[in-house]
Amino acid sequence: MTTTPKPSNGADAKAKEQGSLRVTDDDLYRHSSQYRVWSFTPEQLTQRRAEVNARATAKIEQNLRAFRETHLALTAEELAAIEEKAVPVSTEEELLLVSYFARMILSFAGKMNLPTEVAATAVSFFRKFYLSNSVSEISPKEVFHTALFFSCKSENYFIGVESFAKKAKTNPSAVLKHEFKLLESLNFTLMNHHPYKALHGFFLDIQSVLAGKVDMNYMGQVYTDCKKIITDALLTDAVYFYSPPQITLAALLIADEALTMRYLQMKFMITEEGPTENSQGEKQDSKEGASISIPGQKLLEIIKECKEIISNKVAPPKEDAVKVTAKIHYSQNPLTVLDRLKRQRESNSTGATPGQTPIPEDSQTKRPKTDGATN
Amino acid sequence: MISQAEYSKEKKVGEGTYAVVYVGTKQSSNRKVAIKEIKTSGFKDGLDMSAIREVKYLQEMQHINVIELIDVYMAQSNLNLVLEFLPADLEMIIKDTAILFTQADIKSWLLMTLRGVHHCHRNFILHRDLKPNNLLLAPDGQLKLADFGLARNMGSPQDFLTSNVVTRWYRAPELLFGARHYTGAIDMWSVGVIFAELMLRIPYLPGKDDIDQIDVTFRALGTPTDKDWPEISTFGTYNKIQFYPPPSREELRRRFIAATENALDLMSGMLIMNPHKRWDPIQCLTNQYFVELPEPTTPADLPQLNKK
Repeated sequence: MTTTPKPSNGADAKAKEQGSLRVTDDDLYRHSSQYRVWSFTPEQLTQRRAEVNARATAKIEQNLRAFRETHLALTAEELAAIEEKAVPVSTEEELLLVSYFARMILSFAGKMNLPTEVAATAVSFFRKFYLSNSVSEISPKEVFHTALFFSCKSENYFIGVESFAKKAKTNPSAVLKHEFKLLESLNFTLMNHHPYKALHGFFLDIQSVLAGKVDMNYMGQVYTDCKKIITDALLTDAVYFYSPPQITLAALLIADEALTMRYLQMKFMITEEGPTENSQGEKQDSKEGASISIPGQKLLEIIKECKEIISNKVAPPKEDAVKVTAKIHYSQNPLTVLDRLKRQRESNSTGATPGQTPIPEDSQTKRPKTDGATN
Repeated sequence: MISQAEYSKEKKVGEGTYAVVYVGTKQSSNRKVAIKEIKTSGFKDGLDMSAIREVKYLQEMQHINVIELIDVYMAQSNLNLVLEFLPADLEMIIKDTAILFTQADIKSWLLMTLRGVHHCHRNFILHRDLKPNNLLLAPDGQLKLADFGLARNMGSPQDFLTSNVVTRWYRAPELLFGARHYTGAIDMWSVGVIFAELMLRIPYLPGKDDIDQIDVTFRALGTPTDKDWPEISTFGTYNKIQFYPPPSREELRRRFIAATENALDLMSGMLIMNPHKRWDPIQCLTNQYFVELPEPTTPADLPQLNKK
């Protein structure tokens, strides 16, 4: 990883420039923990989530078996209720709950006026935490404050735990309880490269590549739109599949496809038409792109794929999150299923409608509402 | 990363405010390591910021001139950083009057320092505490940047940074003026001062306190004017300071007797008052000083501390 070749006696300084050892930005990115530890193929990511879920499921099922073995006097109706209600959550349900709370971190960080990068890192920490832990092992409710507090420290935006806890309406020990577990689950890697920095870079570069062809006020609007799109993208799995500038280009494509295509054409000599231009695109570099050997058509394919993923906004409705939370509760506390059954029987006799999903006492009733958009 | 059974702690070698350092062994390879055990009790805000920074930045850097973070693990709710074992530092070498070193040795240490700093900066990381004491020396002679407890990402232009960084003698003028925005140029200043110290074998700008540091710095290098540093008058304290003329080339030659003209150019480039004009690592590394004779000493042949 040494760019500068060892100077040797009498060598001309220009010889250094010819050295093939030049370290590119891509090389540096490939050495980052974000790439080494936190980049996956879709298959790897699916498998990882399945493993976490399987581990938690096995434990819950074991507990349920033990419960049945120690409660031999259960009636057929009670057993059926447990069979129906006390069921471990699925991988999809886990993901839904994580996404719900990840979005809550964003709105919470907004209320606390925290910098964009702090919020983004907190979301990243939180989502990574649940790539090693199941929501039925450690509740997201216990971790999301920790993720935000730890992100403040990691992003150099220190807030004392007392004042943080006060703003978060919780207590310091709750904030700190899972800090170590979080650090460990993060594999002790804390650096996050977010697409916002790349956005700033492209914003400047578009202005220079398309100088005189774009309106500055309009560019400001594109920038603001993109920032929002990027924030939404942080809740998708695109962050595990693509590099930050790829996500930024995808966001730009969503914000203004024509502008972005014009920029990419000028920059990398690529066109909408596709494969026919492929060989040309790689050889003919525009003036700006001369020093960059990026196969343009390949790049366009990648950012279009990425665009597909980040176009699907992740914002599970609150009702769904409440349902999953209830399910976790029942699967961990089969006794409460029996209590519920008892209550139902009693209310049946007083004429209430049976069969509605009740919300357990510890549910999300006080949680702020999300913006309500569904997938 | 691996569990605690893999590492043994053999001897306590140091204790700081937030960590205890042990010499130990990595069992599987029998490699000698340093284990920094981060104290966790008694910190009301949870894990200490310095520890977080050290873990965060060292995880991102693999370079021969940056200390290697071999592993991290938790044990008894303590955080343990397993680092490369580096028995000496440049300050020990400078202070040990029994050790003689040559211009070629100085060139070698400076080259390795600049490579390490270049690697930090191209990863957008500021070290913010470069000094001989934080430049550690491996048994094979390689020099390694260490102690990233004050490091941070290079800020966005609108970020406010604290000027209370870098050990006093190695603090750049913009920091002495309390700048809230600064760049990698602060690290380059520190390297310039270290270069001077290697040639003089005594600290170059040893201010007694923060006020004195300003005086010592400008007495040696001249008080900057708004002609060479236009933004200077925006610093509140600027008008209160004593004016000194910059040293003539002849004065520098007399002070740094053994230095070549290229060496003086390089040192002066790193000690330019205006941070925008101060040389960056690439300018330094491609300077003629590293091309002219003598060649930098091969690391393995550099002077070492005498083993007792």
